[in-house]
Amino acid sequence: MVIVGLLRNPDDAMEVAQESFFRAYRKITSFQGQSSFYTWLYRIAINICIDHQRREKRSPLEFRESMDEVFEQQNEVARDPFSDVHDRELREKMLSAIDDLTPEHKAVIVLRTLEGMSYKDIGEILGCSEGTVMSRLHYARKKLQHKLSAFL
Amino acid sequence: MSNCETTRETIGAWLDGELAAAQAEATSRHLEVCAACREERHWLERLHSSMRSVLEANGSEIQFEPFWQGVQRRVAQKRNWYDELGDRIRGTFSAPRLAWAIPAVIVIVLAGLSIDSFFPSAKIGIQSDNLATVESIDAYGRNVALLHEGETNTTVIWLYQPQESENDSSTEPSETKPSF
Repeated sequence: MVIVGLLRNPDDAMEVAQESFFRAYRKITSFQGQSSFYTWLYRIAINICIDHQRREKRSPLEFRESMDEVFEQQNEVARDPFSDVHDRELREKMLSAIDDLTPEHKAVIVLRTLEGMSYKDIGEILGCSEGTVMSRLHYARKKLQHKLSAFL
Repeated sequence: MSNCETTRETIGAWLDGELAAAQAEATSRHLEVCAACREERHWLERLHSSMRSVLEANGSEIQFEPFWQGVQRRVAQKRNWYDELGDRIRGTFSAPRLAWAIPAVIVIVLAGLSIDSFFPSAKIGIQSDNLATVESIDAYGRNVALLHEGETNTTVIWLYQPQESENDSSTEPSETKPSF
């Protein structure tokens, strides 16, 4: 789910997740137990995600189209039409704002928001200090606030 | 008591439960008395819950059966040597390692340049007889030349004379064509 949150495109996320498990399988002997297996696996996945984001920058339009498909497939119960329009616009703006973050800022936001990870665990996964995680989260939230203040 | 600016910088970490006890206490006390910072807190909470629901909606589409099939397929298939090589190169030259590589290269180059100073007899670094120098060739500093001084002879590689000094000058350069 974290990988989908970072890459958004479900096909790309599936590829990256499979590659992450495959690399973990190949490099299992290099796991020395210094961190939890969970953290180690996340570190592999996040590194592949960040590499993938740098290599293949998809256009925001493509992201939005793929997300629209996902939401259409969810068959949400019909509610107040105004609310639906507002929600849809908010989703689009939010995805666009997250997409504009740097891969490092996106990683801390997604790990914290989706997994509720501690700063210590996020730091271990990303190879940085807890202070850096705190700083990145602060600036990522400021950027999101700047772009979403009119919608939340 | 912390002020608004300090509180707004730490309020996210406070909501995450990641502040030290004293700092968390100061933030709590400030929030009790500051309406603007309370509004900031509520905004961050709305952001967190909205973002979570948007991201979870995306992740709920994962199909686990094809996922594991894909992992199994990768394990079963033999990887090409160039894929392995590509992985190693990407791992070696990933951004965090490059950040260390740049100062390391600078240190190595500087060490190479200064090695002659420490071991003059070793002749390992850049040899001084391979260097050319720019020197003035008259008493006034108007005519300058790029000179290569070897052990046995001196070669003028390039000569610069201002227009008026060229007319006045009676000396002819021994070699005025550029050597390279």
